[in-house]
Amino acid sequence: MNILIKSATIIDSKSEFHNSTQDILIEKGTITAIAKSIPNPGKYREIQFDNLHISQGWFDSSVSFGEPGFEERDTIANGLKTAAASGFTAVAMNANSHPVIDSNSNITFVNAKAQNHIVNLLPIGALTVESKGEDLAELFDMKSAGAVAFYDYKKSISNPNLMKIALQYASNFDGLICAFPQENKIAGRGVMNENITSTTLGLKGIPAIAEELQIARDIFLLEYTGGKLHIPTISTAKSVDLIREAKKKKLDITCSVAIHNLYFTDAVLNDFNTHFKVLPPLRIQSDVDALIEGLKDGTIDMVTSDHNPIDVEHKKVEFDHAKYGTIGLESAFGALNSLFTIKKTIDVLTKGKTRFGLENTPINIGNKADLALFNPDTKYTFSKTDIISKSKNAIFEGETLKGKVYGIISNNKISINS
Amino acid sequence: MSELSVNHLLGIKYLNKKDIKLIFETADHFKEVINRPIKKVPSLRDITIANLFFENSTRTKLSFELAEKRLSADVLNFSSAQSSVKKGETLIDTVNNILSMKVDMVVMRHPNPGAGVFLSKHVKASIINAGDGAHEHPTQALLDSYSIREKLGEVKGKKIVIVGDILHSRVALSNIFALQLQGAEVMVCGPKTLLPKYIGKLGVKVETDLRKALNWCDVANMLRVQNERMDISYFPSTREYTQQFGVTKALLNSLDKKITIMHPGPINRGVEITSDVADSDQAIILDQVQNGVAVRMAVIYLLASKIKQ
Repeated sequence: MNILIKSATIIDSKSEFHNSTQDILIEKGTITAIAKSIPNPGKYREIQFDNLHISQGWFDSSVSFGEPGFEERDTIANGLKTAAASGFTAVAMNANSHPVIDSNSNITFVNAKAQNHIVNLLPIGALTVESKGEDLAELFDMKSAGAVAFYDYKKSISNPNLMKIALQYASNFDGLICAFPQENKIAGRGVMNENITSTTLGLKGIPAIAEELQIARDIFLLEYTGGKLHIPTISTAKSVDLIREAKKKKLDITCSVAIHNLYFTDAVLNDFNTHFKVLPPLRIQSDVDALIEGLKDGTIDMVTSDHNPIDVEHKKVEFDHAKYGTIGLESAFGALNSLFTIKKTIDVLTKGKTRFGLENTPINIGNKADLALFNPDTKYTFSKTDIISKSKNAIFEGETLKGKVYGIISNNKISINS
Repeated sequence: MSELSVNHLLGIKYLNKKDIKLIFETADHFKEVINRPIKKVPSLRDITIANLFFENSTRTKLSFELAEKRLSADVLNFSSAQSSVKKGETLIDTVNNILSMKVDMVVMRHPNPGAGVFLSKHVKASIINAGDGAHEHPTQALLDSYSIREKLGEVKGKKIVIVGDILHSRVALSNIFALQLQGAEVMVCGPKTLLPKYIGKLGVKVETDLRKALNWCDVANMLRVQNERMDISYFPSTREYTQQFGVTKALLNSLDKKITIMHPGPINRGVEITSDVADSDQAIILDQVQNGVAVRMAVIYLLASKIKQ
């Protein structure tokens, strides 16, 4: 596949062409020339868009696509299509399917589904058998099949000894353990953040301390065991502090934050709208401020859309009965780019790659073309028509976002949004 | 003619001051009606009301049913302690099935907070919330305020303490909103484990010493401990709870002033209040029950008149 991208502004702090407008020549999936003006060498496909910007392809460390088992929510094929249209060239898919992805053969199934796709699908294996939190799954075997990390999606490991053993065991083969930050007994039957809004609504609250206690525990364990720990989706100010301190101690710890936790506070729940029912729950403004600060100073390593399609039957119900989760791939760029500068937006969308075993591919001559194409200035109201996912549970529906994606180039393929 | 600012009664927090005044003035009229030899008016002969109780209730259900019948509405009763969700039918489907039988208004009690709000967005009927989880119980708060107004002349400027299990109480929340809207001062009192951590942000005083609370107040609204809503023990024993938060006649007599005692029922005699308190002239518990019918007639009447428009 040979492509000539015309006058694109390159946003890539690792590239020598950062912040300049260039033509980019791509031949057989590799960048072969970058210059102010490149003539079309033959019948190369030319890519030209209004206010075209390009960056390295984006990475999301936590997506769910339903399949296998919950195809009514979404499928891997449509999930990857959604990722491509949203600027992502790689996504790490959670094991929260049915069956739970907790064995070599399950990982192999997932890999087969995503084979030869323009988007790289990185399977995450469950940490424990069926994600029940009782016995370790065959982590080494799953890693051999391509699992990039081990995570019982949104289920914390209650037993501290099990977490200790998991960290010790996975360190034998450099495995990455993900630990959902929630102390379940403290969280109790909570369904949203505990504060004035939960009090006013009579909904049971999940106190911030439920998250912080678990993170503190896991940091203690990591300090004892060594190994690699990733805390997905932190949501409170004190969690940021805890991880900042752990990093000062040189522990091998990373964390992510869900984009909606940077954007909304629990105040939006005031009329029981289940689109806002997410886990960890939306917190208060001081938490949001601390999360943004943590992202700016590097304490938080990456953002995730925490994309989780949920069918309407599990959302259009009483708040207590509604499932947690929102889709987020489609709105990820527009939401982040409304909060941060374009440079920071791209930074947090690409920074997590190496933690999950991917290489950085700066936009330089000789490197593989792994690119997102976008216009950072388009403002639009995110609506149902912007949703590609099968399920329409979008927390950002109705929000004014900034920045639209044109498409991606990856794996010697191109995908352009119509 | 005055009318309510809302089409549903989902909670006190959706009402304004004028709404409450209008409801009380209308209730005054109905209170006079229900004390006549013929206790019935033909106002709602063309209105059908479904009482949907997805959670156990005795007095609230009876009170609503009586209020509806006194207004000559057609009444449909549906009780299912077991939520329809467990049988596989959604709440929206259950209610839409009933509405397709040409029902105009729904009175609903439901174990989940926000169930009324949720329903009001998805079905075409006027909804009255008769208690939704730990969210609101607006007619209870209205009848409580109405009873204070009746006993003390007005609610404005009065000091009311709500004692007991605030954490699991929809009555407490609705009362706080209603009393504050009318200019009363509100305090909550109970063991710290049964007070929501952020309740103070609602602008209420928080007290854990019952004697101090009673000495401060004009009215004490005693709530029942809702054991059925507790996932763990929030205090070691009922005996110990009563030692700290039970009102006895001796305690009442030792106060500087004569306060009014309220209780939304059902009373656990000997737990939150002793029998001699419940039966004393300071208690207005049975007045509350009687006022409940008049206030509910007023709410139903006012909402029905909006349907008719």
